[in-house]
Amino acid sequence: MSSDKGLHLDEDQLLWAVVDEAELPPPLQGHLSTCPQCRAAKERFEQDLAHLGQMAQRFAPLPRKRVSLPVEKPRIPIGWSWDWRAYFGVAVTVALMIVIVWWSAPFRTTPEDSGDMLALEMREADRVMTEISMLVENALPPVYLDICGKSDPGLDEEFMQFIAPSIKNETVSYYSGKGGVVLC
Amino acid sequence: MSQTAQKQYHARAPGTGSQVTSLVKEARAGSRTAFEQLVDLFQGDIFRMVFYRTRSAMDAEDLAQDIFMQAFKNLSGLKAVDRFRSWLFSIALNRVRDFNRKKRFRALFGAFDDSDEVAQSYAETNDHPEALGNLMIKDFWKQIGLLLDKLSRMEREVFLLRFMDHLSIKEISQVLGKSESTVKTHLYRALQKFKREYSILQLLQEGAP
Repeated sequence: MSSDKGLHLDEDQLLWAVVDEAELPPPLQGHLSTCPQCRAAKERFEQDLAHLGQMAQRFAPLPRKRVSLPVEKPRIPIGWSWDWRAYFGVAVTVALMIVIVWWSAPFRTTPEDSGDMLALEMREADRVMTEISMLVENALPPVYLDICGKSDPGLDEEFMQFIAPSIKNETVSYYSGKGGVVLC
Repeated sequence: MSQTAQKQYHARAPGTGSQVTSLVKEARAGSRTAFEQLVDLFQGDIFRMVFYRTRSAMDAEDLAQDIFMQAFKNLSGLKAVDRFRSWLFSIALNRVRDFNRKKRFRALFGAFDDSDEVAQSYAETNDHPEALGNLMIKDFWKQIGLLLDKLSRMEREVFLLRFMDHLSIKEISQVLGKSESTVKTHLYRALQKFKREYSILQLLQEGAP
């Protein structure tokens, strides 16, 4: 920016004066404050810019709806969010649940019931022990017992010996005649 | 700025500084009513600010809603209560930038027809019954568009904030996060280009009240 004393402000200086008058050097500021011609030129340009803003505002539409803020949630102090009815309801529900659980059959245990259960368990244990003893004596399943001919209790070894005596064994013939007993 | 222009500026500035400051303090303390009063004071300014940059009344309404919601949520983060106006404009400016970026991105893939949008905006700009009035409005926005196209991004922003949004140099420097001397330089360059636009100067003189 150049300052020419006695001369009017040029276009650039006028523009700077519009931007900010304090940006002009002090002699030019002094000239601007005293020279009606420069003052008028500056004000004319400022008026044009003011008209620009006014026209823009006039030709812009108006907002059709108001800005809406989020719905405010009521603030409830901690501890007072539930009234006495809510607390009472929860207490009754909990008490009912306890009673139902206590009286329900699967979970109820009385001394009598515990004695019955003990006898039942002992019977079951005896049955299991019997099964185990049988398995220790003969662990073969019934199919194999059939094959080896041991499944039928009526045809045991003694009976078969009676039906068909073994040849290897000493046969004792009882001669019930005059000579008494004779070994064959 | 001349005394007349200063009077015009202050006449249209929403609320007095102390009134706004006290409302901001109340709103920060949790007063919803105070914030609603701030909305009443600034909704027009923010709506127009967005409209000047998007040229769509519908988009301006939606964005203004977003801007005030963001301000409402982040009001506690505002350090200097006396800078509420510039803080609000900086939120608005960021929101408009995001919007324009998305719009350009959509246009890149052909999902958005800009010419249709601008034509629709002119149609919805005002419900002036007079055809002459409509023509003048269209011509005005067309000339403004031509002018703004000749300015760089910073020159355009500074020019709009100063002469259409009526912010002071100090407020503009706060909004843009630039020094006052940088703002003045950009403003000076913008005015140089504006001064060469005879058609818009003529339009302004014709439309002067």
